[in-house]
Amino acid sequence: MTTTPEMIVSRFEEAGHGAFVEKYNETEGHMTINMGPVHPATHGVLRLLLELDGERVVDCQPIIGYLHTGMEKECEDQNWRGAVTIVTRMDYLAQFFNEQVYSLAVEKLLGLEVPARGRYIRTMIAEINRISSHLVWFGTQALDMGAMSGMFYGFREREVIVDFFEMVTGLRMNNGYFIPGGVWEDLPDGWQEAVRVIVEMMPRRLDEYEALLSENPIFLERTEGVGAISADDALAMGATGPILRATGVSVDIRRDRPYDAYGDMEFGVPTRTEGDVYARYAVRMIEMRESVKIIQQCLDNMPAGDYKNMDPKLIPPPRAELNRSMEAVIHHFKLVTQGYTVPAGEHYQAVESPRGELGCYVVSDGGSSPYRCHMRDPSFVNLQSLPVMVRGGLIADLIASIASVDPVLGGVDR
Amino acid sequence: MSEPSWIGGPEWLEMAKGLRNERWQLADLCGLDGRDLGFDHRFEAVIQLVNYETKERRTIHVRAEGEPPSVPSVAEIWPTANFMEREAYDLFGIEFEGHPNLTRILMPDEWEGHPLRKDYGVGKVAVEFIPQPFIQVDAPGQSPGSTESKVQVDALGQAKPNGSEPS
Repeated sequence: MTTTPEMIVSRFEEAGHGAFVEKYNETEGHMTINMGPVHPATHGVLRLLLELDGERVVDCQPIIGYLHTGMEKECEDQNWRGAVTIVTRMDYLAQFFNEQVYSLAVEKLLGLEVPARGRYIRTMIAEINRISSHLVWFGTQALDMGAMSGMFYGFREREVIVDFFEMVTGLRMNNGYFIPGGVWEDLPDGWQEAVRVIVEMMPRRLDEYEALLSENPIFLERTEGVGAISADDALAMGATGPILRATGVSVDIRRDRPYDAYGDMEFGVPTRTEGDVYARYAVRMIEMRESVKIIQQCLDNMPAGDYKNMDPKLIPPPRAELNRSMEAVIHHFKLVTQGYTVPAGEHYQAVESPRGELGCYVVSDGGSSPYRCHMRDPSFVNLQSLPVMVRGGLIADLIASIASVDPVLGGVDR
Repeated sequence: MSEPSWIGGPEWLEMAKGLRNERWQLADLCGLDGRDLGFDHRFEAVIQLVNYETKERRTIHVRAEGEPPSVPSVAEIWPTANFMEREAYDLFGIEFEGHPNLTRILMPDEWEGHPLRKDYGVGKVAVEFIPQPFIQVDAPGQSPGSTESKVQVDALGQAKPNGSEPS
């Protein structure tokens, strides 16, 4: 006796699981079901409403908001420096980019210069963060394609990087290390060795990953020609970052509108033309190698001098100063209790995060806290291109596509 | 704040079509509540555009007029505006005329109010842990319907002595 979809539906309903099947279209035989919000392949609390014709995806509608905590509103209650600790929690895998884009926007409103060392430290840390973020993508992409060892390898290397973050900032995630005006503390003793370990380790490890996956027939079968999106569609859906570069559009804010120390760096912007999951894989793998080059340049050319702007009215004095200078204590007290004010105005700043264009739109009314702090998160926008990628494909290909979009739901929902 | 130049809704729709033909892409669209900024109008949509060929960027401010405040939707022109306009609607209550599916995106569907408005204060709106009304249950061993021997139970389900006032 064959099982018909009607029997499945009625079996669910009898078992009290009617909610699994949202809708059943009898004429076409399309079934609408939920994937997520709690599903291991959705990389967080992403819920997809799938209209299925058997195994084939007819339509896919992302439903988000399960992780919404109102961080943009919370920023309005913080002082200008404190808001860094809120924005860093948005895209939690690329935490330094959130801090960087917010700091750059506030610096622009303040007209605040960052010393060369501060800019180099930020650039170096951000690129290390790009690698660690791509490593999580690598692990989950490989895992979703059935290569569980990819997850182990990705997280093994990420551990080294996260330990480095802990050494520099005291925290593994949600660091709050970049502030408007520079970075919170200078790099600790022995940072060169720690960075050198990462710079020397990564190219070898990337070779290992590529040996594992790049020509692996199972991986190729699951990714080549899967989840393809054309350049026009990607532009229309607002996709940025590796998704757009995998379709052949060479866009990189680091190169097109340099910020921090990227103007001094030499690096390539990889592109592919296929626009499928494999192309996005290839782009990200090369991006990690390019990041290693940037880190190497920062390591070789790290300037001496101040790591943050020392304007006492805007930046808290170094801790040691408080023990000997009454003036420093007064400034510190004023900055911690009230904070500083920012001239009224607005600015939109964009940086290239691992997922694409991360924007920060800041409005000041002249007060001591942001009037509005809006983050244009790349995951939020990139998620719209997912339905275009998966229509007409199989559910198994949908899994490959989600992993290659690499959404971070903390950033999507904010 | 230095006054940006605003445009009205119909003008924005015309402008958007022209900009789309010049290959400008929509980078970002967000709402803004100008209550404390001293503008003539209260709500506006702030649009960031990018041209990947010339590498230019520009910002456009569109007034949201009327009650509820509304702006024409550009989701037909730039499909990426779909989520962004839903977000501005959800958090600011700005209506986007002509949007294919203008529903809440981040907040639950049944949510009341628009949280990023300036009159929607943080800490001023009870969100959860609202005190529940006291429930009256029969004490063990008492027949139902008896009015005299009721045990009062507080919000945590703990029995209170008879006759005590609910705190």
